[in-house]
Parts: sequence; structure tokens; C-alpha cells
Amino acid sequence: MTVVALSRRPARVLRLEIRRSVVPWAVPLLIALFLFDTYRTAAGLPPVWTVRSSVITQSMLVDFIPFAAGLGAWVGSREGRRKTRDLLATTVRPALMRQASALGATLFWLLLVFLAGVVVLYVTTALQATWGGPPLWPVAVGAVGVVTATVLGFTAGTLFPGRFTAPLAAIGVVLLSFAGDHAALHVAPGTSTYALLSPGAAVPLVDDGVFYHAAPDVAIAQVMFMGGLAVALLGLLALAPVSRVPFRGLLSAFGRTGRWLSAAGVALLVAGAAASSTAYALAGTARLGVSGWAIPALHDAASDQPIPYSPDCAGSSFRVCVHPAFSAYLDDANAALQPVAAEIAGLPDAPVRTELTAAGDGVPSAGDSYTATPMPYITGTPPAFSYTYYVFLNPPWNDLAIPNDATDASWNSEFQQQFLMTFVAQPNSSPLSAAQDAVVTALMTVVGSPAHVFQGEGGGKVGGGSLTQIDAAAQRFASHSPAVRHAWLAAHLAALRAGTVTLAQLP
Amino acid sequence: MTTTDLQKPAAPAAPARWRTASGTRLVWLHGRSRRVPAAVLALAVCGGVLRAALEWGWLFRTGHFAQEFPMIIEGGAAAVLVITTHSPFGEPERTASRWLPYLRLGTALAMTGVAIGVLQIAVTGASLDGGILVMARNVIGVTGIGLLSSLVTGGLLAWILPMAYIAFAEYALLQSWTNPWTWPVRPPSDRGAWLCACAMFAAGLVAFTIRGARTRLADDG
Repeated sequence: MTVVALSRRPARVLRLEIRRSVVPWAVPLLIALFLFDTYRTAAGLPPVWTVRSSVITQSMLVDFIPFAAGLGAWVGSREGRRKTRDLLATTVRPALMRQASALGATLFWLLLVFLAGVVVLYVTTALQATWGGPPLWPVAVGAVGVVTATVLGFTAGTLFPGRFTAPLAAIGVVLLSFAGDHAALHVAPGTSTYALLSPGAAVPLVDDGVFYHAAPDVAIAQVMFMGGLAVALLGLLALAPVSRVPFRGLLSAFGRTGRWLSAAGVALLVAGAAASSTAYALAGTARLGVSGWAIPALHDAASDQPIPYSPDCAGSSFRVCVHPAFSAYLDDANAALQPVAAEIAGLPDAPVRTELTAAGDGVPSAGDSYTATPMPYITGTPPAFSYTYYVFLNPPWNDLAIPNDATDASWNSEFQQQFLMTFVAQPNSSPLSAAQDAVVTALMTVVGSPAHVFQGEGGGKVGGGSLTQIDAAAQRFASHSPAVRHAWLAAHLAALRAGTVTLAQLP
Repeated sequence: MTTTDLQKPAAPAAPARWRTASGTRLVWLHGRSRRVPAAVLALAVCGGVLRAALEWGWLFRTGHFAQEFPMIIEGGAAAVLVITTHSPFGEPERTASRWLPYLRLGTALAMTGVAIGVLQIAVTGASLDGGILVMARNVIGVTGIGLLSSLVTGGLLAWILPMAYIAFAEYALLQSWTNPWTWPVRPPSDRGAWLCACAMFAAGLVAFTIRGARTRLADDG
């Protein structure tokens, strides 16, 4: 079959390119990286759709882009490396048609593997998630990221063919990704927000997309930015023959490239640059809202409204309720809180139910701290203990992947500690007074939780007594019968909360 | 007269100066055919990027992330230098040159040394997490992976496996793995990490010296 005949059948050329593509050689590595990095990372996250899907842009894309850029550059530099440009210049179709087939075949394999990974990830999540559905924006961002990296490498390979182009393109995109992620880590309210264009921007909180819709604003800007870059690079490819001639021969080069193709190249270049510039400008206007980073020009105000849901509850006299997205852990929460709730049942303002509430925003700020995360509180009639996911501290989410009894015990005691601290010290649970610390430690000792965990946590905060004195008072208080403890607490709770009770006054 | 009488007498042995000159020329031609000058330039670019990152604070100076950026550059340098294993001549060269294994060995060793040297020069006067020891260990270990890879994929695609290893090491770094075969994440004095990296380099070097990079697959790409 002649080249002319082939060129008249672009679909057949594409099939040939797909069959002879070099990408399948990298597929085993991509699968291995997916299993080691993306899949393991996702398995350690709670089965909440928004959280699990974040690994697509956080891990999977980072693993894919060096190969996408490197292999794209390898394929793009093929004619230059083999010095067949002049030979192929005599074919009836423009060079862009040949390049489109080669690029299309490379993208076919890369996107096939990428989307297969997404399917595995989402099927696994679907088997574990108890609420919600698969978000598509992270998939779009990831797919566009892979396409952009490939086109970037392909363009580099076409314009600068050589044996070193492929590895340098691969390293280049990894460094770009690293720089973007590094900048994105420092994005916080009141600072420059352009770094949100990095697909590896902040890891969402555990309840992101649970109480409020996860705003797609940043994802839209990322798709616009990367997509615009890819389109502009395609325009550059179309104009590549023009760029290879000196200025004097520019007009004749335009003639050789073809008037329509040249016009299309310029149009693509301008459109891509415009899209990327617009996305860059939009990212600069981002502000933090209840549903994460919001870009006013793209934001849908409806996503700021809470998502209605019916909580899943357990228990009878003391009800432990969680959002249905976390219902897999209802038993753990119930088992942790019921014993301590029984110790304070009937006391003034003792909660009769608990509920998980929204953390307030969807994005962690710099330095691993979180903005506007409310502390747990007791409110309402009858009183209810409200807490955010943050109270879970180290919840046994990863039990699904890595069962760990030690982690469970630690989580139980920390959860109980938060509950009791909020009760005996409300409205200000930090810092505790020495007597408050002793009472909480005593009640935790009574229910069989490791008190030392609490003392270690509160060691730097307590006042009015050393840890030894607090421990002695706690043991003394715990040694009394439940009725005595209950009666003392009923009589002195107000003074205890006010911080006017000393260690010596504890029975 | 017989054909034996027509044979030319054996050529006199060339003077030592000429032998040295021809040897130098052979090494130079071998290096040029492997694009060694361009590789040195590419390594210099890697060093320049590392220096710029240190100067302008593109990387974390402490903690887990401190090794991330240098590790990418070191892996990149190794990926660049294993590209020089590709021969443009293929099979004919193998049948015609008895010095070829020595030239391969020398080129691989020299390029590894140049890569370490260039990166060391780049970070001179700047504080690099882990220092020269970690950098050298990463370069030689990842180069070993690349040399072994070149036997299967050919020299031109030998960068793929080193890049995959670096991507994997990034994950190991964040997960605080301690296996010696994840040497990029181990401290400078870790003996197991050194053993693994050196064993990988030695295996790659020996295999590459004896077999040479595969020529067919990469050309089909």
C-alpha cells in the first residue's frame, strides 16, 4: 500500500499507529505505579467519593505525566530522528495529518490506561461508599492533564528532535508539576491564588462534598488552563513548517503549509492562549467558601446550600448519629461514645444525641492546619453534641485497607476525650483546669480507656497541678461508686465548668 | 611466482605516539557517536535547574519533601546519561570492533562520574539535603537501572524505567519506607541502601559492558 493511499484513509493510518505505538511498553510500569501509589493511597482514605477521587489529580496524574510527555516527545521526534522529513514532505497531505495520527495513537493508549485506572478506582470506591456518586470533574482534569503533557512532549519532540528530547521533556513536566504543587501548598485566604491552577492543589478535607456540593470552579479553571495550553501547542504544531524557515521565506512557507492550515494554526494558537490567560485571570479571583475554593465568575450559588440528608443513627437513650456518607463507621462511633455518655447521663446539659456537622470549608491551609474548623460544642434542647470530622483526629478509616487495633484504641480514647472535655469545660474546652482534667481522666479510666493518652495530650495545657497530682486526684475520683461520682458532678458541675474547683476539692 | 610471493610484507608497528593518538581518536569518535557532548550539556542543564531551585527556594529545605526535588533531578541526570548507550551503527559495529566492550565500560563510568561531578558543582556552596553522598548514591543506583533497562528497550528508551523508579521513590519518600532498595529515601550513611545502589550499578555496568544496549526495539519505535 502506498503512502498516498494510506494518507487518504486517516482511520487506517491511526490504526497502524496504534498497533505500532511504543506506549504499550510503558503500560506495565504505569499499572505498577497505579497499584503502588494511587490505589494504595486511595485505600487509606475514607470511602467518600470526593476524597477518594482526589487521588486522580494528586497521585495518578503525577505518575502519568512524565511518561505522557516523554513518550509524546519520542513519537513527535520520530521523523526528525530518522531524518525522513524531506522524504515525507512529498506526500499529498500536510505534515500535521501524519503528526495527528501519531499523536492520536499515543493519546489513545495513555488515555485508555488512565481511564482504566479511574474505573478500577471508582469501582472499588463504589463497593465501599455508602452515599453519593462518582465525581467527574477530577477525571476531566486528569484526562486533560494527560493530554496536555502528551501534546507538550509531542511538540517538543517535533520542534527539537533528538535522543535527549524525550527524557528532558519527561523531567521538565515533573518539575513543572512539582513547582505547581509546591506553590499550591501555600495557597491560603488572603494570599495569591494563581497556584490553584496546579492540578495537585490542596487535598480536600474528609467531609468535602458531603455537606455541601464540591464546587467545580477550580476544576473548570484547571481544564481551561491546561486545555488552552494543549490547543495553543497544536496551533504551534500546525505552524511548525513556518517556524523552520528564515523570515524572508515566511510567505512561501505559509504557501507550502497551506493557507487554511496556517489560518487554523494561528486561530488555535490565539484561542488556546486566550483560554489559558482567562483561566489564569479567573484563578486569581478565587476565594474560600463553604464548598471549597470558589471563583465568582464560574460559581453557582446553589452549591453553597447544604445538601439535605437523613442521618444514620444508633443507640436508644443516647443517639449517635452520623452522615450517611460515614455510616460505615457508625458502629465505631457508637461503641466509643455510649460508655462515656452513660457516665454523664442525667447531668445538666448532658447530651442525649451526637451529630456530625460540616467542617466549615473544604480546603486545608498552609502548614497542615485547617481554617475555620469549629471545635466540638454542645447545644440545643435537648442538648446535642456536635462535632466535625476533625474530632475524629485519627479515625480508623484505613481499617478497610490496613486493620489496626492499636489505631482503633487510640482513636476511641481521643474521641471520648473530646466528648468529655466539651461536656466538663464548655463553652471553652481548652485549656482545661487541673480539676477538669482530673475529672475527664477519671471518667475515661472508669470506662476502661487509656488515661495516659489524655494526660499526654493535655500535659502542656493544664494549670493548678502537676500531672502526678492530677493523676492521683483522678484515681481518687474514679475509685468512688458511680452514684457518688454522679451526685458530686450534679452538685458541682457549674463550678467545675467555671474553673473554680481545685484538685483538693475533688472527692 | 606464486601467490605467496605477491603477499605484502607485514606493516611495521606504528610508533607509540601514533597508537595513543589513534586510541584517543577512537574514544572521541565513540563518544561523539553516542552524543556524549550533548549529554554533558543536558547534564549541565540539570545541574543548572538544581542550582536555580536551591537559590530561589523552589524546594523544601527540611523534612520529607526536601529530597523530592533533588531526587527528580538526579533521576533525570541518570536518565539522560543512559541515553548515551545507544549506538547508531547497530550490529555491524559489534562485529567489527574488539574494543567496543571497553569503550562501553569507559563511557558509562565516565558519564556517571561527569553526572555526579556536574551536580556536585551545581550545589557547591548551597545546602543540599543529604549532601553529595545521597546524590552520588541516587545517580549510580538509578544509572544501574537505566543500563539494565537499555538491554531490553534499547538505549533511546532506557530513560523510561529510571523515571518509573523515581516516581515510585517519590511515593516511598512520602510513605517513609525503609527498605534498602528504596535507597533514594534512606539517610546518607545507610549501608543497605548503598549496597543496593552499588549492586544495581554493578549489575547494570557488567551486563551493559558485555551485551551492549539493544538496538532493534528502539529503532522500531
